[in-house]
Amino acid sequence: MGKLVALLLVVLAAGVLVAWLRGGDDRTAKARRGRLQLVAWAIAALVLLAFVAFLAMRSPNAAPAGSKPTLLLIGVAAALILAVWPWLARRIIPPALIGAGLVGFVVAHADLNTGGTFFGTQSAAATPAPKLCAAPCGTSPVPLPALPTLGQDFLLPVAYLLVLVGGWLAWRSADPVLARGRLLLGRVNELAPRAQLRSLLLLLVMVIAAELLIPGNWTPAAAFAFALALTLGVGVAMLRQWPGAAARLAVAGLLFLGAAGLVLALTFQYGYAPSDYGVVVLGSRSSPGMVTAQAVVLLALAAWLAPQTFPRVRRILGLPPDAELTRQVLQLTESRAVAVDTAASDLRRLERDLHDGAQARLVALGMSLRAAERLIPVSPEAGLALVAEARETAAKALTDLRELVRGVLPPVLADRGLADAVRALALDSPLAVETGIDLPGRVARPVETACYFAVAELLTNAAKHSGARDARIEICHTGGRLRIEVTDFGLGGADPGAGSGLAGVEKRLATFDGIMAISSPPGGPTIVVLEVPCALSSPKTSSY
Amino acid sequence: MRVVVAEDLFLLRNGLVRLLEAHGFELAAAVGDAPALAEALLAEHPDVAIVDVRLPPGFTDDGLRVAIRARQAVPGLPVLVLSQYVEQLYARELLADRAGGVGYLLKDRVFNDDQFVDAVRTVAAGGTVMDPQVVAKLLGRRARQEPLARLSAREREVLELMAEGRSNSAIAQRLFVTEKAVSKHSSSIFAKLDLAPSDDDNRRVLAVLAYLNG
Repeated sequence: MGKLVALLLVVLAAGVLVAWLRGGDDRTAKARRGRLQLVAWAIAALVLLAFVAFLAMRSPNAAPAGSKPTLLLIGVAAALILAVWPWLARRIIPPALIGAGLVGFVVAHADLNTGGTFFGTQSAAATPAPKLCAAPCGTSPVPLPALPTLGQDFLLPVAYLLVLVGGWLAWRSADPVLARGRLLLGRVNELAPRAQLRSLLLLLVMVIAAELLIPGNWTPAAAFAFALALTLGVGVAMLRQWPGAAARLAVAGLLFLGAAGLVLALTFQYGYAPSDYGVVVLGSRSSPGMVTAQAVVLLALAAWLAPQTFPRVRRILGLPPDAELTRQVLQLTESRAVAVDTAASDLRRLERDLHDGAQARLVALGMSLRAAERLIPVSPEAGLALVAEARETAAKALTDLRELVRGVLPPVLADRGLADAVRALALDSPLAVETGIDLPGRVARPVETACYFAVAELLTNAAKHSGARDARIEICHTGGRLRIEVTDFGLGGADPGAGSGLAGVEKRLATFDGIMAISSPPGGPTIVVLEVPCALSSPKTSSY
Repeated sequence: MRVVVAEDLFLLRNGLVRLLEAHGFELAAAVGDAPALAEALLAEHPDVAIVDVRLPPGFTDDGLRVAIRARQAVPGLPVLVLSQYVEQLYARELLADRAGGVGYLLKDRVFNDDQFVDAVRTVAAGGTVMDPQVVAKLLGRRARQEPLARLSAREREVLELMAEGRSNSAIAQRLFVTEKAVSKHSSSIFAKLDLAPSDDDNRRVLAVLAYLNG
């Protein structure tokens, strides 16, 4: 076993070294951070492998001599992945940690109830000391009684740790596949980061509660695995639909578990052994002290989180309002002010344009017609000329109105929605604009309008300032967010601080919790990405 | 010549009908919404249909969609689409079947009844009439692209007017040249756009399509 771990360590170290060397002379802070992350991933991979090795070694059926090459192969593969495709490691390791932790969890629980090993249930029942084998012994099996008991005390904390670390890594990961997995949790993603963590706590609380409440005589591991899966399923469903309620339930659950722990610790004194209680330290050997310590930790966590979760508790305790909420209120106040300003200035512009344009022309039209009325009896030719002039004025009034409507709500946008409206923009632009638009439905009208004018502004900017001849617009809707990317192949160097155009786009999108990111190195290309959270409605179809 | 008119505003519909009847058109049907238009187009088989883009019940581009669908059922069914605004996107959709007999004009063009009636006749005869605004928007972009870059400035002017649906004599009048010069220009355009000799009308349509579709 020791040799095997050492060998794995060497292989992984070699993988990290190769990856390190592949980084070359790049000494930027980003590259350094990337390398440190690589070491962290290697450690995670090592822990994972050691855990898998531990589980495998415990099986009396698996000959350690046979599992050794397999494990070594896995180790080599892990090192290879780390060295050549670090992104794949980032994608695989978090779910693997969670998976291994859950397996360990079930195994530990089965151990508890059988008093032996999960894999060796039958042999454990038959013989008090299961025939287990340490790694190096190979041909002559030596009984190893220490391993199962080690499992009871050691397996569960490690399993919890693996699930927590794996969950945290997966949650924080920027990997697109893992991000898609995150979407399974539905509305949790709409919360602020800290509120997300509070809601996610529900899963942990439910698992602990399941441990406490599932009857101890549920011997088969399958039954426990089923109960665990059911619990997690209910937790995930709750998170998807009511993340806020989930957070409240989680904190209430912590409170309950902590209190229950204290009660159990007290009854311990009177001979009642809470063999099924205890998260970090579990099993028949857990002492009242340990149970008490654990209960205190849970209660402390609940006490810390309660004011954040229940505003009423915060008020009763006389605490200042939540900083996160205060920030959100400030942000909302600001974006609402921008929205109101924009609406007011749009109305003012509309009024002025109507006043100076169409209205003035209609007045002129009336005057021309009145003059023609007087002139026709006297000089029909002059009257006819005036009528022709009146007709031209009417045409100009129409043109004015058309321009006005286009500025308020472009007709194609009203008719067809964002996708076709942006295609029409691309066609009308003086640049050669390519479009890649994947929008199977329509987004809400206000968002649609804001995004349309944002794209129009970006295209105008590109045509005016970038010196580009080509541009590209990509639009898609993934993960509950509308993503728009406008690229121009011009000079670059666009600065959101310099002109009011880009800053204005950002401010207006903020009304919809939208964000803007710009990459515009000198020499180009300029890439502007807009993201707005919104739902996609199914397209309307007509039958006539 | 039998014509179907689709326009939801009563005043405009009546005005159009009166204008067309004054110029000797026979009214096959005057309808006010998209389903009625779809029915009239297939039942009446008009020589030409004049369709407003925005019609009930959707009040979006219902008229345009009905027109395009009717042309799928009856290829080349002459349709002149009228609108308060012109969009290149819609022009392209109308032209996509490359069958000719299509027009797309601003409603304002009705003010000049002679030109409007000319446009209706051109469309009915299988020609293509695009609003000068559509043509002007295309001008800036298309000029750089092959094979239109091969055309001389004069030839491009002629092609532009062709796209607006004008006849050779009208083009000659507009450019202050003889009709013969215009036909010389147009054969040169056809040659440069690699359009095989066929009847003149068809080649005009194809040249205009080449111009509009870039």
